[in-house]
Amino acid sequence: MKVTVCIGSSCHIKGSRPVVEKLQELVARENLSDKIELGGTFCMGKCQQGVCVTVDGEFFSVSPETVSAFFEKEIKARV
Amino acid sequence: MNDLTCDIGYKSINHAGEQLCGDHVEVVEQEDGSMVIVLADGLGSGVKASILSTLTSKIISTMLAAGLSIEECVETIAATLPVCSVRGVAYSTFTIIRLIQSRTAELIQYDNPQVIVLRNGENWEYPRTEKTIGGKRIFHSIIRLQEEDVFIAMSDGCPHAGIGTAYNFGWKREDIITFMEAMNLCGYTAKTLSTQLVDECNRLYGGEPGDDATACVVRVRKRVPMNMLFGPPSNRDDGDRMMSLFFAKEGKHIICGGTTSSIAARWLNRPLRASLDFTGDIPPIAYLDGVDLVTEGVITVNRVVEYARDYIGENTLYEAWSSGRDGASMISRLLFEEATDINFYVGKAINPAHQNPDLPINFSIKMNLVQELSEALRKMGKRIKVSYF
Repeated sequence: MKVTVCIGSSCHIKGSRPVVEKLQELVARENLSDKIELGGTFCMGKCQQGVCVTVDGEFFSVSPETVSAFFEKEIKARV
Repeated sequence: MNDLTCDIGYKSINHAGEQLCGDHVEVVEQEDGSMVIVLADGLGSGVKASILSTLTSKIISTMLAAGLSIEECVETIAATLPVCSVRGVAYSTFTIIRLIQSRTAELIQYDNPQVIVLRNGENWEYPRTEKTIGGKRIFHSIIRLQEEDVFIAMSDGCPHAGIGTAYNFGWKREDIITFMEAMNLCGYTAKTLSTQLVDECNRLYGGEPGDDATACVVRVRKRVPMNMLFGPPSNRDDGDRMMSLFFAKEGKHIICGGTTSSIAARWLNRPLRASLDFTGDIPPIAYLDGVDLVTEGVITVNRVVEYARDYIGENTLYEAWSSGRDGASMISRLLFEEATDINFYVGKAINPAHQNPDLPINFSIKMNLVQELSEALRKMGKRIKVSYF
């Protein structure tokens, strides 16, 4: 599964760094690093909805506050 | 024109307790691309010394740049400088380095510590001839420049550093040479070399300099072109034209901005890979075959401008950017240390996502960044060309 987080200017200001760090931590804790590929990308063109994250191409709007719930619902459940 | 250029940098520290520096460095560029650098050290310290050294360096640089002879300059200074009421003399020592089209250097030295010249990384005792002009003993040298020559001019505050505390007789010339030979190996810029010399003096003085200390460094180096792309073009149809002009230029290529690098990736037909390595608070960089450095835009460039502003002033942040692994430090090293001729390709497209009043970035800030950065780089002595799309 490929999870991509936008690290462009807008998403950076909206907190892409804590989102990435939280995802890295959760992936490591759940021992999913061989199943989930975390990657970065520049602007996805949906800056208003940042932080922009895609899971296998499907778009999600995530924030540092919702990242844990997002991981449970959209990533862990699908693996 | 040859492909050599001179990187000039200087820094001063003031006598402890003084707000003004009694040393003054003046750099004047002539129309034919020759440079006149004057380092003057006024008698004493504080206001009086500052006036003497400023007058001396301004008069000499202006007169020499206008093509007058050194004899006339010295006579003018002797006749013009206000006489010190305490000591009954008008006095300012000076060192003149005149760089003629980056081919030849002319040194004219009066009573300052002798200019150190490093050639091929080692101290070189260049020939000097002694002249007497208006009762002053002046040393004159003409040196044919080679790549990697380094000239180090100082005021006597440098060799006097540490007298009575760290050293009995101050920081000796031989020891300054050894120190600078080692620093020169690291490939630092003239500004950073002068900063390190003066910082070391300050350390030897125990943080309370007993005299104004100034170092001025000139590094002879090859011209290095560099190109930086920042922002997408305001008209989408100009993308291809902008890319082909940018990639046609020789030298390294830097791309700043997410959308901008995506356009470049499409034009090159290569994948853009963003890394997730956050170092410090600057967004991560990305990789694109055929481009030397890809970074995020406004936040990164804003930091580069902060570094540039500091560099032309106090130069206190050089340790941060000269070793940092984030995008802003990498751009700073490329632009400040490596490049001599920089072409900016600036796109004037307005990113709708940035026009949100909640965000600290907007279009006018972006344009100001480019202007401020190119202005600062010009002050570093670099040739800058900015094209807008």
